[in-house]
Amino acid sequence: MKKSKELHHYLTGFALAAVLTIIPFTLVATVGGARSYIVLVFCAILQVIVHFRFFLHLSFRGQQKEDLQLVLFTGFILFLMIGGTIWVLGDLYTRM
Amino acid sequence: MSAPTGQSLHPGLNLGEEHGDDHLEAETSVFGFWVFMMSDLVTFGMFFAVFATTVPLACCPGPKELFDFGSIAWQTAFLLLSSVTSGMAVLTMKQEHGGRGACTKKLVFWLLLTVLLGCGFLYREISDFISMAAAGGPPTRSGYLSALWSLVGLHGLHVTGGIIWCLVIVVGVLVRGVDRRWKLALLRWAVFWHFLDVVWIFIFSFVFLGGLL
Repeated sequence: MKKSKELHHYLTGFALAAVLTIIPFTLVATVGGARSYIVLVFCAILQVIVHFRFFLHLSFRGQQKEDLQLVLFTGFILFLMIGGTIWVLGDLYTRM
Repeated sequence: MSAPTGQSLHPGLNLGEEHGDDHLEAETSVFGFWVFMMSDLVTFGMFFAVFATTVPLACCPGPKELFDFGSIAWQTAFLLLSSVTSGMAVLTMKQEHGGRGACTKKLVFWLLLTVLLGCGFLYREISDFISMAAAGGPPTRSGYLSALWSLVGLHGLHVTGGIIWCLVIVVGVLVRGVDRRWKLALLRWAVFWHFLDVVWIFIFSFVFLGGLL
């Protein structure tokens, strides 16, 4: 029972990831246009969550505190560094 | 720091009580690997930041001339499937090596299938690099191309490393059996391999598909 549940977990993750991959690819191949970019961002973030949840077995419940702190702190650092880089250089670009 | 039964000791797939001391031993080893993985993620993040601040110049071919949509789709499929087969490998290790019955053949099968899919990915990626260089887009032509090659190349290097690591595990498991050492190696390698797929999501979404829009 427990074994098949774990297998099911991976397969659910695969199905969700496959759908979230097919959507942006189909969109770029058929519709295109700048507005599709929002869908790309949305699908990418959703798929990252799917991978973390179903493949890397990370969740907000049943997880030890340090584990989540590690991941969330890394997310925060990434936000600061990437966001800061784009902000500063974007600002310089508009002043050129 | 022992956790109550049923709770996970570390992020990622846990071995579980039926593995005895191996399960407890995995806590520090796998958590430590997550710390490394997170710092690696920051490295990738900075490569992304550099890429995001560059624009394709008029001097050289842009994304639409350089990127092969079909090849990107193949690479994505290879990597996603290999993520699932690597998951099947750790599941086999967890479920069939917790004491009594052991099926090393099945474990090796999933690992080799993962290696095969990883090689398929690398093959497509390297042929893309070659055709990009031939189409007038080598990394030396512009800042955009340098950022593109180094970001995608860094990921490709990681995949190469992951394949070599997996082959080492296959040999180790065949020679020494699935003992604690190789169980812990497999847990860490699986985290590494899944992370490469997470990074690839950003690459195919923002670098390739975003460039083709």
